Amino acid sequence: MPEELISGPARLAPPARVAARARALLPGIELGLLALALVLPPFLEDFWVLFATRVAILSLLALSFDLVWGYAGIMSFGQALFSGMAGYCTALLATQLGVTSVFVLLGTGALVGLFVALAVAALVILGKRAPSLVFVSLGTLTGSYVVERLARGWSFVGGQNGIPSLPRLTLGRFEIAEGPMFYYLALFVLVLVYVGLRFFTRSQLGLVLAGMRQQEGRIAFFGYRLQHLKGVTFCLAGLIAGISGCLYAFHEGYVGPGQLGPVQSTQVVLYVLFGGVGTLVGAVLGVSLVDLFSYFLSQRFETAWPIVLGVLLLLIVMYRPSGLIGLLVSDRERIGSFGRGGKTGEKPR
Amino acid sequence: MTAVAFLFDVLAYSAVFVLVGLGLGIIASMMGIFNFAHGEFVLLGAYTVYLFEQHGLPVWCGMLAAPLVVALVGLLLERIAIRRFYATPVVAMLGTYAIGLSLREGVRTLLAGQFYNVTAPLVGSFALGELSVSRWRTAVILITLLVMLGCYALLTQTRMGLQVRAALENPALARASGISTARVYAATFAFGAGLAGLAGGLMVPIYSLSADMGVPFLIKSFLAVMLGGMGSFDGAVAGSALVGGSSAALPWFIKPVVADVLVFLIAIAIVKLRPDGLLSHWRR
Repeated sequence: MPEELISGPARLAPPARVAARARALLPGIELGLLALALVLPPFLEDFWVLFATRVAILSLLALSFDLVWGYAGIMSFGQALFSGMAGYCTALLATQLGVTSVFVLLGTGALVGLFVALAVAALVILGKRAPSLVFVSLGTLTGSYVVERLARGWSFVGGQNGIPSLPRLTLGRFEIAEGPMFYYLALFVLVLVYVGLRFFTRSQLGLVLAGMRQQEGRIAFFGYRLQHLKGVTFCLAGLIAGISGCLYAFHEGYVGPGQLGPVQSTQVVLYVLFGGVGTLVGAVLGVSLVDLFSYFLSQRFETAWPIVLGVLLLLIVMYRPSGLIGLLVSDRERIGSFGRGGKTGEKPR
Repeated sequence: MTAVAFLFDVLAYSAVFVLVGLGLGIIASMMGIFNFAHGEFVLLGAYTVYLFEQHGLPVWCGMLAAPLVVALVGLLLERIAIRRFYATPVVAMLGTYAIGLSLREGVRTLLAGQFYNVTAPLVGSFALGELSVSRWRTAVILITLLVMLGCYALLTQTRMGLQVRAALENPALARASGISTARVYAATFAFGAGLAGLAGGLMVPIYSLSADMGVPFLIKSFLAVMLGGMGSFDGAVAGSALVGGSSAALPWFIKPVVADVLVFLIAIAIVKLRPDGLLSHWRR
């Protein structure tokens, strides 16, 4: 129809009513997931409670990757480095000094993640020249590999075997045992971080990040220092990964070199890609779905399941770059809007 | 005497490594994508040789077949999946990672998680002065040299090489001149994969065959390519020789773990200071 042709550009800025209706879906998904996560555990068997706890903890890690890649456009193949380092440091704190307080350990984990991320950012992201995307991704990947290699060779941290039989976390006089207790702890931290990130990504800084993702040059032209913004976001993500790593170590009661390495780092990337980059809930969804899926596949096909996972991933990358969340939510809603009215739904990179 | 043995060891390791790095570098320079499945192409090459041996065929036949088989696999993958990724380097990394995962786990299933050894077509050693030198390692060095000379001749002397260089230099103009860049890209990818397959085939008698054998090569050859600078044949060779040589040489002086880590850190630092590659200084 010719009329449509004429009103073509207008479609980019839709009526506010339509935008508002479309935007209602994402909070719905978030609340639904939260309700499910709160109510479900008492009805589950022990195995599934442990499973759900692990999903919640890994969701933190996935959120940290989602923040750097989905929001700041930094391809980090080293998120496991931050979480693993935090895991190791808190494990040493617990075994060597006997600290088990959940506040101290989580705080330490967060700080370790923050500072390791700062160090990596100083090497890879900051500097006179803006680094290329490929350099950042390979740099973080290398960092992850190097530290795993060191951890495997250093007997003080247990070498290949890591640090086994960690004590339980304590909250005052309570011991937090694996099971519903630990689950609600992890869920509480996850919700806290999630809400915090939701504010962060909708703040002025989040707006600048969104602009940066769309068109870096223009944001630089406005006078923002891109590398500083990226560095700040990267460190924040490191902090979140640190918390996740600490929780993971104490939930498993064990920390090993595998938790530092590229395998874990790429696993995180897969989670987020599966779920949907650039939406916080996509990361959580990705962890849940990939882990559930892997579990059922491994029950059916004992050895062949990673092959199926790989093929599935390839298909997602090829045909649905916005992840599974892209099936449910429009691009416009995925990117979000700032200020009044809807922003144009231009596709992100 | 140990100095000669040392040099020989470094040379033999670098030789195999140069093949891997060159394959990766050619693909990275041409299409701008880093192929995360490259380690698995090495593995496939090694596996092909192993299959030949299992079926009672001579090992050298397997080594001839390995690059062809892997090149075919590469061509197939390029046609199906990888050509969609050319515009988006990060998606390409993830896509090739997924491909690599499937290939690696596929071979793991086929090997049932075991380690296997393949005997070299040339066994034993010969005396060079007072030093005994492994025949197979010598052969590997010679084959690598030949392949590199062949590559160089192909790029500089033939019509196809001209097309490849044109597509690298200015794809739009190459297309306008009637060169099918899509075909050039496909051929390049297959060629890079074939080099990895050859490397895998040649190294399988030296290292044992297991599903994870390609993984350590992957990150090192990434670094090698970045070190040499993307977009050039000589850069990839120089970078690979440097990384391969130093990671073979350093363990003679310091602990292997420290050596490994040091190579990575130095390489990253150099790339940080010189993003266009080591050779960018001499070029133009």
